[in-house]
Amino acid sequence: MKIITFVKHVPSSGATPRIAVTKRGIEEEGLAYEANETDLYAIEEALYQRFVHQGTVTAVTIGPRRAQAALHVAYAKGVDHGIHVLTEGSHGTDTALNVAAAAEVVKKQGFDLIFTGIQADDDLQGLFGIALAEHLGIPVISAVTQVNVSADKKTAVVTRELGGGYKEEFEVDLPCLCTVQFGIRPVRYSSIMAIVKARSRKIESMSLEAMKIASRQASRMSIAELSYPENSGQCQMLDGAPAEAVRTLVANLVEKGVI
Amino acid sequence: MGSIDVVVYCEAGAGQTEASNASLITAGAKLAANQGGRVVCLLVGNDIAEVAGELGQYVDEVRVADAPRHADYDPLTVLGALQKLVVEIDPCAVLFGHTHIGMDLAARLSAKLGTSLISNCFDVQCEAGATHFLRPMYRGRVNAKVAVEGGIIVATIQQSGARQPDLKGGGQVIAIEVEYAEDRRIRPLKTIAPTRSGVDIAKADIVVAGGRGVGEKENFALVEALAAAVGGVSACSRPLVDIGWFTSSSQVGLSGTTVKPKLYIACGISGAVEHVHGMKESGTIVAINKDPDAPIFRIADIGIVGDLLELLPLITTEVKSTRTA
Ligand SMILES: Cc1cc2nc3c(=O)[nH]c(=O)nc-3n(C[C@H](O)[C@H](O)[C@H](O)COP(=O)(O)OP(=O)(O)OC[C@H]3O[C@@H](n4cnc5c(N)ncnc54)[C@H](O)[C@@H]3O)c2cc1C
Repeated sequence: MKIITFVKHVPSSGATPRIAVTKRGIEEEGLAYEANETDLYAIEEALYQRFVHQGTVTAVTIGPRRAQAALHVAYAKGVDHGIHVLTEGSHGTDTALNVAAAAEVVKKQGFDLIFTGIQADDDLQGLFGIALAEHLGIPVISAVTQVNVSADKKTAVVTRELGGGYKEEFEVDLPCLCTVQFGIRPVRYSSIMAIVKARSRKIESMSLEAMKIASRQASRMSIAELSYPENSGQCQMLDGAPAEAVRTLVANLVEKGVI
Repeated sequence: MGSIDVVVYCEAGAGQTEASNASLITAGAKLAANQGGRVVCLLVGNDIAEVAGELGQYVDEVRVADAPRHADYDPLTVLGALQKLVVEIDPCAVLFGHTHIGMDLAARLSAKLGTSLISNCFDVQCEAGATHFLRPMYRGRVNAKVAVEGGIIVATIQQSGARQPDLKGGGQVIAIEVEYAEDRRIRPLKTIAPTRSGVDIAKADIVVAGGRGVGEKENFALVEALAAAVGGVSACSRPLVDIGWFTSSSQVGLSGTTVKPKLYIACGISGAVEHVHGMKESGTIVAINKDPDAPIFRIADIGIVGDLLELLPLITTEVKSTRTA
């Protein structure tokens, strides 16, 4: 089976990005990046399917030069090939362009299954995987928590998550795309050593600009302004030494009558 | 000329998130009022007449496809119904709840229409001819005010507070037939109800929840000790279920249980929208987190910035001594 998985390089979870003076983007300088969390789950699922059904796993990242680090993580986990679509201009943030580029890449590679994470932690859109499947004209299931490919590899029984703990099972024709939900299977820890070693693996590079891709979008979303969320003002922050803060907290809760 | 009406896709039935309908309709009504248009609701499911009738009180028109064949969510069939409605009434916007099904359908529809998707909105602002949506980015650490140029707006709306939409009354409820999609490459097999085990966290008066910030499994004992001291139950955020410490019965959030205790104590939980969905209507919310910028503080009533490993034992001891005093 030919399996393709997409991994995005996003700002790390620990810090709040600085908003640029234009207020339309963030300052990239000095920001730490990591592979997007649900994309790691997608990679694990891809590797599991390869283990069961044989074949190859190709990981693709779309983004500026730094995004290659996401492919090092993918290599450390065990993928067979890494492809980097270099996007100097858009920083990899234009979903429509990314989708058009991704479609070109996967059509060239050929595929039976595509896995993406359910959403990227930077734009929180949850659009890429579904839009890519739509672009390719293949079936897509989102928020996937289980995939069982049939012996003849023509169909798969796919479980997706619904609200409130409900799930739903579908039978889907292959090739298909699944956007993978958190927790589909354990994300194995990759050692720094393994990631460093992965840096010497060959990455196939292509440039988005050279691919002459134009998005098919009829409309465009534009950011008018970024801002830091304000506290609603209702949160009373208990500063001071821990012991003091804790006394105030408990006294407060007793006063409110909640404990 | 584009039309002025707004379509809202509401949810009802197993695995659907009915609780999101109210904020969705409120947002739809705001947009429609700004354009001088109507709010038309689409509802697809099985045995949903009652919900349809109720929704009719809040919108101008409800189109309801109520049949046993719609018991399981069938994305392509619902998508077909949405596309048909879009062609018929040429709306300026199609809105969904920011739910599992809403996110799925909104992305599919926006891709079909070739428009941008504005997901995860928590506010709609209509000022002087311009409409803006507010949505989080970067794990909720930054807010973006976005606009869409050209085309139909496709957006998902977060469930917010207990804000009920204005009662309109007299909305028409129209039964419609929705045929199966011709494309049968995706075939729904069955909907699976969650298996609940152990304590029902939704019934507790006090919930003490631990998140990924708990670190090691042994540390969760600190969360449990505090829960015991305050006479509450312990619960968790999703990552602790994903790594297998707990079953989904303990999970608070969009894909777990929604709780409304009089006291919710969040320990080492960042406050992602999907978690907040399941607890924001709690009476008093206390947040303990070592990151002063953690989004959880924005919905909390009382916050302490610090290490939970240090703070939780102190709180437990203090509660116990208050109790015996
Ligand atoms: C469709 C969908 C459905 C989802 N459903 C749910 C759901 O039902 N429930 C849910 O919870 N999530 C859900 N999620 C996942 C959600 O997006 C977040 O990933 C998740 O809530 C994060 O959990 P967390 O806050 O425990 O972890 P993190 O976001 O990693 O936060 C950990 C926090 O702990 C703090 N911390 C670390 N160490 C310490 C310490 N020693 N002392 C104090 N604080 C510390 C950190 O500062 C951080 O804020 C869903 C996601 C999707 C896409």
